Amino acid sequence: MGKKKKRVSSDVWCYYCDREFDDEKILVQHQKAKHFKCHVCHKKLSTAGGMAIHVLQVHKETVSKVPNAKDGRESTDIEIYGMQGIPPDVLAAHYGEEDDNPSKVGKLEVPSSQVGIIPGYPPSTMPSIYNPGLAVPRAGWPAPPRPPQPWFPQHPVGSVPPTAPLGMVPQPLFPVQTMRPPTAPPGLPTSFPVASPVSQPLFPVVSTNGMPSQTSPYSAPTSIPLPSPSDLITTDPHNINMPRAYLTPGFQGGVTASHSYASGPNTGGPSIGPPPVIANKAPAIQPATNEVYLVWDDEAMSMEERRMSLPKYQVHDETSQMSSIDAAIDRRISEGRLAGRMAF
Amino acid sequence: MSAFGIASNSNPNKSTEVVSPPSDSVSSLSFSPKANYLVATSWDNQVRCWEITKSGTTVGSVGKASIAHDQPVLCSAWKDDGTTVFSGGCDKQVKMWPLLSGGQPVTVAMHDAPVKEVAWIPEMNLLVSGSWDKTLRYWDLRQANPVHTQQLPERCYALTVRHPLMVVGTADRNLIVFNLQNPQTEFKRITSPLKYQTRCVAAFPDQQGFLVGSIEGRVGVHHLDDQQQSKNFTFKCHREGNDIYSVNSLNFHPVHHTFATAGSDGAFNFWDKDSKQRLKAMSRCNQPIPCSSFNNDGSIYAYAVCYDWSKGAENHNPATAKTCIYLHLPQESEVKGKPRIGTSGRK
Repeated sequence: MGKKKKRVSSDVWCYYCDREFDDEKILVQHQKAKHFKCHVCHKKLSTAGGMAIHVLQVHKETVSKVPNAKDGRESTDIEIYGMQGIPPDVLAAHYGEEDDNPSKVGKLEVPSSQVGIIPGYPPSTMPSIYNPGLAVPRAGWPAPPRPPQPWFPQHPVGSVPPTAPLGMVPQPLFPVQTMRPPTAPPGLPTSFPVASPVSQPLFPVVSTNGMPSQTSPYSAPTSIPLPSPSDLITTDPHNINMPRAYLTPGFQGGVTASHSYASGPNTGGPSIGPPPVIANKAPAIQPATNEVYLVWDDEAMSMEERRMSLPKYQVHDETSQMSSIDAAIDRRISEGRLAGRMAF
Repeated sequence: MSAFGIASNSNPNKSTEVVSPPSDSVSSLSFSPKANYLVATSWDNQVRCWEITKSGTTVGSVGKASIAHDQPVLCSAWKDDGTTVFSGGCDKQVKMWPLLSGGQPVTVAMHDAPVKEVAWIPEMNLLVSGSWDKTLRYWDLRQANPVHTQQLPERCYALTVRHPLMVVGTADRNLIVFNLQNPQTEFKRITSPLKYQTRCVAAFPDQQGFLVGSIEGRVGVHHLDDQQQSKNFTFKCHREGNDIYSVNSLNFHPVHHTFATAGSDGAFNFWDKDSKQRLKAMSRCNQPIPCSSFNNDGSIYAYAVCYDWSKGAENHNPATAKTCIYLHLPQESEVKGKPRIGTSGRK
C-alpha cells in the first residue's frame, strides 16, 4: 500500500536543467534526448561538444548553446556525461540548494501518511466543490486563497441563471473597432457579434440538461459488479505525492524512473525527411529487457504533419504550403526528397 | 488475440459499420448536437454526413451528403443549432456547410498553414480555428478577416472548448488555457503534465479542468484551480507489451461525464476519472483509431478504424488499407461512473 520508495533528495541530477533522476543511466538518456539531440536530424549524441561538432560537420550550422539548458549552463564546451564533468562549484551549489528543499516539501498539503488510502484524494476539510455529480449547491468559492486568479466557481446545478452577477459590467470581448464590421452591409442584422458579449454573464450558466440530475454515481445500487483490480487506474505515484511537481519544470520524476524508453534502431541515426522511420519493430528482435518503444516517437512533428508532407497529399502549391511550416521541417522534407527517400 | 502486433479483426467488438465509408483515413468525427447526424472528415479531401438511425439496440446509417475540399480535411465541428458544419484542413481554410438547408459550402476562415482544429462557440457566436501557422483565429462568419488573432507559441495540435474554458495544446507540449470571457489574454500557460507530444485535449464538463492525451500512451487529468492541484494525476493506457501507442482521442460522455480514450493500438476504453477506474476495456481493432465521438445523448459512440500514420509511411500500404467507421452502443455499465470499491489503495 502506498508508495514504497522514500524520496531521498536525489544525488543524480542533470547539470543542464537540474532535473533529478533515480538512476544515472536514465540521466544519460535524458541528456541525450533533451540536451544532446541534433535539432536538424534529431540524432542523439553523447555530449554537448559532440552534438555541436555533428551539427557543424553534417549540417554546416553552429550550435553555441545547449538546448533546454538553464541560463548560465548553456555552454557546449563543458563536457558533461551523466554526473561526470560537472564543475565543482555548481556541484557544491546544487547540494546547498537541496538543503532548502524541506520548506518546499512542507508546503504540500497532503499528509503523506494518508496518501496511500485513496491516492490523490486528500482528506478534505471543506465541502467538496469538485464532484460534478453532486447536486448540492456549493457555498460559493472558498475565499480566494491566493493572489493568482481562481478558476470559475462551479455553478450549482439548477440555480437561477445569474443575471449580471456580482454587479460586474459585462466587458466586450474584443476591442470595439473589430467587433462590428466597418463595412457591414445594411441588410444584415447588426446584432451579430455585438449582442452576445453584451448579454454575456460574467460566469457561465451551466445548462442543467448537461448534468446528471440527481444521479450521483455514489449512490450506486449494490448490483454493480466489483471492478477487477486491473480496472483501477494506476496513477503515477510521483504525480500523487508530489502534486505540484510538474509546475516546477526542474522536477519531473515518474515515468522515466520505472523503465527506459528507447528509440527504434533507425531513429538513432540521422532520420531526415519523410518517410519516417518509426520504432515499431517486431518484438522478437528486441532483447528481453523492459525497454519499451513509442510507436510514434517524433516529438518535433505530429503524425498529421508528417502525413501531409507525402506527395500524394500535396496539391499543386506545395511550395506555399511548405512555407508556413517550420524551417527545420522544410529542410527535413526537402532533404528527404533530394535523397530519394520518399516512399512509393 | 495475438500478444504481438495488432489483432487481426477489424471489428472485434461487433460494432455496426457505417455504410459507404471514406476512401482514405478519417481525421475527425463529429455528431450533431441536435440529432443523430454524423460527420466525418478524411484524407481523401471529403466531408461526409450520415444519418444514424437507432431503434432499440439496432443501429444503422444512411449516407446523406458530402462536400469536398481541395486537400485533406483535418477537423470538423457543428454549429450548436445542428444546421451547419465547419470543416478545416490542409487547404488552410475552414468551410461552412449549411447542410440542413442544402446550401453550398463557403469559406469562412483562412490561415497561413493547415487548419488542425475548429470549434464553434455558441456563447460568443464565433468560430475559432487553430492552425499549424501558430495562431488561433476567431471568426464571425460574415467578415473576411478574423475578429481576433491569438498568437500561439507553437503549432496548434489540439483544442477543446466548454465556454468559458478553452484549452489549446500545441507542439512542444504547451497547454494554453483561455477564459473566453477575456479571450485576448492567456489565462494560464503550462507545460503539459505529460512528457511527450500532446495529441488531444478535452475540457471537463464542469469546466474545472481538462484531460490531455499524449503520444506516450498516457492521459493527464488536470485541474485548473490552484487549490485542486493535488487532485491531478496521470495514468497509462493504450500500451501493449513493449509498444506504447498514442492516445488519439478523448471524449467526455455527455450525460455521465465519464470519458472514452481511443488510441493507435486500435483499442478504446471507458474511464471514470472521479473514482479512478477503467469502466470498460474494449478489444483492439486491427488498425488504429484516430478519432471518435459520442452522439448528443451519449447512446452512440462512433469511432474510425484506419491508418493514422503512427508507424510512418513505410507501414502504410494504400492498396490494402481499409477505412471503417463503427458505431458502438455503450451499455450503462460502460459509461456510468461507479464508486470505487475496496479503497485499500494500490496493489
